[in-house]
Amino acid sequence: MRSSILSSIVLHLAIMMIAIVSLPIFNNPDLEIPPIVQVELIEISEKTNVPKVSKKKDKKEEKKIEEKEVEKINQPVMKPKVEKSNEKVKDASDKDEIVKNKVEQKMFENIPIKKPVIKKKDKFDPLKIAELIDKSKDTKTVEEDIEDLEYDALDSTPSLDNKLTLSEEDAIRAQFMQCWSIPIGIPFDDTMIVKIKISLNIDGSLLEPPEVLQHERMNKPSEKYFRTLAESALRAVRRCDPIKAPDINRYESWKRIQLNFDPREILRG
Amino acid sequence: MIKKTIQKIFFIYLVIITNASALIEIDITEGNREPLPIAVTNFFYAEDAIKDIDQISIDVSKVISADLERSGLFKSIDQEAFIQKTASMHIRPRHEDWRLINAQALVTGELEVDNDKLRVEFRLWDTFAEKEIEALVLITTIDNWRRISHMIADKIYERLTGEEGYFDTRILYVSENGPKNNRIKKLAIMDQDSFNHRYLTSGKELVLTPRFNPVKQEITYLSYFKNLPRVYLLDIQTGIQEVVGDFPGMTFAPRFSPDGEKIIMSLARDGNSDIYVMDIKSRVVERLTDSPAIDTSPSYSPDGKKITFNSDRGGSQQIYVMDNKGRNQTRISRGTGNYATPVWSPRGDLIAFTKNFQGRYFIGVMRTDGTGERLLTENWYQEAPSWSSNGRVLIFYRETKADDTGKGHSSSLWSIDLTGFNERKIETPEDASDPSWSRLIQ
Repeated sequence: MRSSILSSIVLHLAIMMIAIVSLPIFNNPDLEIPPIVQVELIEISEKTNVPKVSKKKDKKEEKKIEEKEVEKINQPVMKPKVEKSNEKVKDASDKDEIVKNKVEQKMFENIPIKKPVIKKKDKFDPLKIAELIDKSKDTKTVEEDIEDLEYDALDSTPSLDNKLTLSEEDAIRAQFMQCWSIPIGIPFDDTMIVKIKISLNIDGSLLEPPEVLQHERMNKPSEKYFRTLAESALRAVRRCDPIKAPDINRYESWKRIQLNFDPREILRG
Repeated sequence: MIKKTIQKIFFIYLVIITNASALIEIDITEGNREPLPIAVTNFFYAEDAIKDIDQISIDVSKVISADLERSGLFKSIDQEAFIQKTASMHIRPRHEDWRLINAQALVTGELEVDNDKLRVEFRLWDTFAEKEIEALVLITTIDNWRRISHMIADKIYERLTGEEGYFDTRILYVSENGPKNNRIKKLAIMDQDSFNHRYLTSGKELVLTPRFNPVKQEITYLSYFKNLPRVYLLDIQTGIQEVVGDFPGMTFAPRFSPDGEKIIMSLARDGNSDIYVMDIKSRVVERLTDSPAIDTSPSYSPDGKKITFNSDRGGSQQIYVMDNKGRNQTRISRGTGNYATPVWSPRGDLIAFTKNFQGRYFIGVMRTDGTGERLLTENWYQEAPSWSSNGRVLIFYRETKADDTGKGHSSSLWSIDLTGFNERKIETPEDASDPSWSRLIQ
């Protein structure tokens, strides 16, 4: 009798163990549920808005937008023609994008996607990371530090998925086009193109002063037309500060941008 | 161990390099073509300078604003909107205040009077870069403040558009009054903003086609003496006038060469009109065209190597180009209609003309090979375009149609820029025709 009770208990335990090991219900649901794939189906104007990060940030951004609106009260009406034509182009491309995204969405729904290892790290509580770092401080070797750096560098490398979409590029372009008053008196010259490097904060404001890449040419006394053009481009960059930032998830891909101000077609007449 | 570390450092370096080269490039090939908002402030002055210094301060600012606005490329911001006041401005502008009212550029200045001389100091600021981009001190007699204002406007225009200004210039034209069949025509001259107007002739003789010398304060024009047309030279500063020559037959449309040393014109002999050029010093006349058709309205290219003119040798009036010796005469106008009064741009890239098509008159421009024809303005009757010194604006005259009783006829001066959008009437005391725009006053 006693032995049968024992064998029954052992068998029950064995079945329970098998169940725990094999049944999905006992597994970590995180590993089974495919991660949410973000599919953007938004208008171009919305796309350029900074997405919500936290309530605090939103409030800050709202304040900034309000400030910018105050600044813009006395601005002249920008040329509607340019805006319209851009919107038209973007409308068409957006439609294509919507269809494409729908197909992609369906595909993603059906295919279980393995959770990327790096994403797991994203889920960590920042406080816990700090704890981990603190614990490992004493035991970490130089080699491990380098490995960490390597990992961070890889993390910040923009992958193809992180690239700005064409419509996001267009949205940035449209903003600078509106801010740029072209000095139309400059005589046509095939080399009249000003390249400016800008670094942006996550809210779209300038991280540091814009830099004209051809600064040597700008400072030559014989290049007064180029200087005028470069100054007009710099004014445009500052006038547009802050720009409406694209998706912050892709911040790494747009935090540094080279703007090529190219009036040649207009100057050619 | 060391090898491994070096490998890893190299790897990190590669990653950084990859990051750097991943800079996104965005081409901006269009811009906002709205006029550039500019704030022109009243110039600061010491209270005890001279009696009317406060008015001069206001007027200098007004003249500069008006010049810039007339160009169509600037929008002068109303002074009512200014946040910072003149008193604190001459120390240092508060750029954030100016950006707030959307001024992309700011003009400040200071007036001082010393021994009856007016010292005008002006500064042009880029409000977004927060730096001074142009500064100039000009000293003149107090009465000359208007010209100084034009010179400042030229500097601002040049610095912000990249193109030479055209405000310190004058307009020469034929002033007209009286009934259409008995018009009194006088030569008149004024600043490009219609101020400082004066007459150069009394109106006893008929005057036609006045033209500025491009390098001197001198003009040439045609006047009738005992019913015979004569070509005159007049020094505007001294008032000394001389007859260039009595030519047999009719003379038309004299115009200076770019160096101001020759006069090119058309002479009609035995019913045939051809192009001639005369050296002013030696008075030697050279014939450049020899066709049985009517060749007239010659105009030099700015380098003096080519001449454009119009001729009806092909059956209708068209524009031709030849070299300065009369060789290689080529028709360049190809559109339908009649083309007349070709004038070479001081920039050398375009030829302006009058076109008559289906009873309407157009002022237009084309490239010097005849391509890229653009009609800028259309009206019942208009002709005789003349270029501004920087080749951006054309001045011409326009007539209104008289009614059946002969009333309602008038003629006035107009300007239009190369975009075709900035058309403005130029104020004159009486009716006006046949304008000629001077180069920048030296």
